[in-house]
Amino acid sequence: MGQNCYITFSSIHQAIRAEKLLEKKRYAYKMVPVPRSISSSCGSALQCTCQDITALGNFLGDKNIEIEGLYRVKEAKLRALSVEKLS
Amino acid sequence: MTGNKNNIYFDNAATSWPKPETVYHSAEIHMRSAFGNPGRSGHTRTLAADRLIYRVREKTADFFNIADPARIAFTLNATDALNMAIKGLLEKGDHVLYTAMEHNAVLRPLTRLKTEGIIETTMIPCSDEGDPDLVFLENAYRPSTRLLIINHASNVVGTIVPIKRMIESAHQRGVPALVDTAQSAGCIKIDIQADDIDLLAFTGHKSLLGPTGTGGLYVRPGLDLKPLREGGTGSQSELDLQPENMPERLEAGTLNSTGLAGLLAGIDYIEDRGLDNIHDQEKKIRAYLYERLLDIKGITVFGPPETDRCTCVVSFNLGDTDCGSLGHILENRYGIFCRTGLHCAPYAHRTIGTFPAGTVRISPGIFTKTDDIDYFIKALKEIATLTGI
Repeated sequence: MGQNCYITFSSIHQAIRAEKLLEKKRYAYKMVPVPRSISSSCGSALQCTCQDITALGNFLGDKNIEIEGLYRVKEAKLRALSVEKLS
Repeated sequence: MTGNKNNIYFDNAATSWPKPETVYHSAEIHMRSAFGNPGRSGHTRTLAADRLIYRVREKTADFFNIADPARIAFTLNATDALNMAIKGLLEKGDHVLYTAMEHNAVLRPLTRLKTEGIIETTMIPCSDEGDPDLVFLENAYRPSTRLLIINHASNVVGTIVPIKRMIESAHQRGVPALVDTAQSAGCIKIDIQADDIDLLAFTGHKSLLGPTGTGGLYVRPGLDLKPLREGGTGSQSELDLQPENMPERLEAGTLNSTGLAGLLAGIDYIEDRGLDNIHDQEKKIRAYLYERLLDIKGITVFGPPETDRCTCVVSFNLGDTDCGSLGHILENRYGIFCRTGLHCAPYAHRTIGTFPAGTVRISPGIFTKTDDIDYFIKALKEIATLTGI
């Protein structure tokens, strides 16, 4: 069992804008297809560590990125065991 | 000189050619690379396409000084963008003002809506050089006026219209303005914020030097358009209706990412050379062309003589010759390509007094040289002699 954190966006334009803003930042992240256990307007989400998600969310929010939600997902064998909406 | 067939393309106002090498290269690389469908899927190839589309949107926004790139929806061309704005904004009982220099891309959608009893329209007359009657405009507003449509530069005679002044007049009455930049984008500086433009339609394949099938519509924040097309966006798939956020609101179906890759290179090329430098060069070419044309016996040249007021377009007729036949002989005998007839702008031709006969339109491009003009003038002189003018 493991856990991943995700940031979802209102559109792919916002997702790519977020990715661009993070280009020179120290955070570890990648763009991934949104797990179906999370509801999102946009098909791509930013996956990051759960340690960084609050800082990342704040950083992107300050840059007026249209964030839909921050999530913590516990996963095992390609299945979501639990989904927690952080904000 | 008969038989000395060249390959001189003077129809850049229809579509520009040649394109910069980088435009061909960029579109080809995109098509050959395994880019996915932008906005769909979420795998890395799709993300590569998403990043490309983002870059083109950002580049276009910078080019027009648009604060939020998401307010630009990509379209097939300027016609598509104009239809999107007109049909997305207007509702029953609305009144629309437009200039006599408009293209059929504006005239036909308006006429259909008018014929169906949905809208009312008033055409702002223009001088025979293509300048709108601003006094008429001031008196033409009604309480129901919902839109002012302005052709930024005439595709028949090149006349640049004072958009800022006209938009100010519309804004004083709370009326938004739609600017058709098919002939001006990539040719003269357009600044959404300085000119206070509400809706801007542009095409990618003329002076922006991109491939056909590219263009866009800018929509000011706060203006909500009903979508012209509805369908897949790759986002909010659970919704039965088109998403409300831009650009998805107006972008249904797969985008022309190959074309947009080319457009990106086209705008890059313009920025590298400098829009002002390109405009200065085109002004010189137009001034030279205009002056040389006046040398020809029996010629009537239309549009303003001052190059500062024009894009790189000149219309003329030679004596009483048929403009279509003249265009044909220019191609077949001399290898010169130009456009003849009404140029999809029947009221512009009525305005300059050339309806229904039309004119020959010469539209040089950024790669045109004065030698090309000299060759064309020689050809025209020879035709004038042959036809007994």
